[in-house]
Amino acid sequence: MANNTNLPRRIIKETQRLLSEPAPGISASPSEDNMRYFNVMILGPTQSPYEGGVFKLELFLPEEYPMAAPKVRFLTKIYHPNIDKLGRICLDILKDKWSPALQIRTVLLSIQALLSAPNPDDPLSENIAKHWKTNEAEAVETAKEWTRLYASGA
Amino acid sequence: MTLGSGGSSVVVPRNFRLLEELERGEKGIGDGTVSYGMDDGDDIYMRSWTGTIIGPHNTVHEGRIYQLKLFCDKDYPEKPPSVRFHSRINMTCVNHETGVVEPKKFGLLANWQREYTMEDILTQLKKEMAAPHNRKLVQPPEGTYF
Repeated sequence: MANNTNLPRRIIKETQRLLSEPAPGISASPSEDNMRYFNVMILGPTQSPYEGGVFKLELFLPEEYPMAAPKVRFLTKIYHPNIDKLGRICLDILKDKWSPALQIRTVLLSIQALLSAPNPDDPLSENIAKHWKTNEAEAVETAKEWTRLYASGA
Repeated sequence: MTLGSGGSSVVVPRNFRLLEELERGEKGIGDGTVSYGMDDGDDIYMRSWTGTIIGPHNTVHEGRIYQLKLFCDKDYPEKPPSVRFHSRINMTCVNHETGVVEPKKFGLLANWQREYTMEDILTQLKKEMAAPHNRKLVQPPEGTYF
C-alpha cells in the first residue's frame, strides 16, 4: 500500500531496531499492508503464572504517535487483574503516563513486566482482581491453567 | 485532514477501529435516540452487535424502540457490516420477511466507505424512517420480531 511511503522516520527506525535487536522474550513485526500495525508475541516470564505461555498481541501506532501512546491489546485469552476480556490492558504508560520519550520496545517490556507483577489494586477486571486479593494462590492456579489452555502456542 | 499532512494515509486496523466504536457506544451518543453495544463481551473479534433506534417524532415510528443486529465480519470496515432489524418494521429498504436492510435500497451500505461507522448506519436509518416514503407506512404491531 502506498500509505507506507510517508511513514515517519522515527517509526521506521524503531521498527528496524525491533527486528534487528529484539528484546528477550518479545517479538514484534509490522504487518505487510500496514506498517503501523504490529503482530506481537510475548513469552510468559519465568517465575510467573504465565511461564511457558506464548501470548499474541496486536499493536497500532495512531496518527498522533509518538505524541500519543501506541494502542495495544492481547489477542490470547489471559487471566490477569489488569487485562480485560477483550485483551485491553490497564497500564499507566498507555494512558496518562505516556511520554514521547517512550517507545514500542519500552511499552512491550512494561507489558512483560506487568505479567510478572499483576497489580490487583488498580484492576481492569474487577472479578479477577477480587479473586487475586482474597485468594492469591487460587488465582495464580487459574492463571496457570488458562496459560496451559489458551497460550500453549499450538 | 489536509493533504500532505500524512494524516490521510493512516489506516486504523479493524480491531482497533471496533474498540474505538465500542468505547464511543459505551459513552453514549448524542441525544440517545440511537445506541449500540456488543452482544458477546467474550468475543475478542467483536463481531456481533445490537443497535437500537428510537422512532423519530412526527412519524408512525414515534415512541417505538427498534432493535437491530449488526455483524462486523473480518473484512470490516473495508466492507460494511450486515444489518438487519430484529424488531418488525415496514420500511422500503428493509426486507419484509427477514428484516435485512438491503444495501441496494440503502445508499450508505451500497456506497460504503471505511470511514463510516455503525453509528452512521443507525443515524441514517433513523433519518430514513422519517423520509416521506416511510414516515406514514402502516406498521406491524409493536413488540413483534422478525
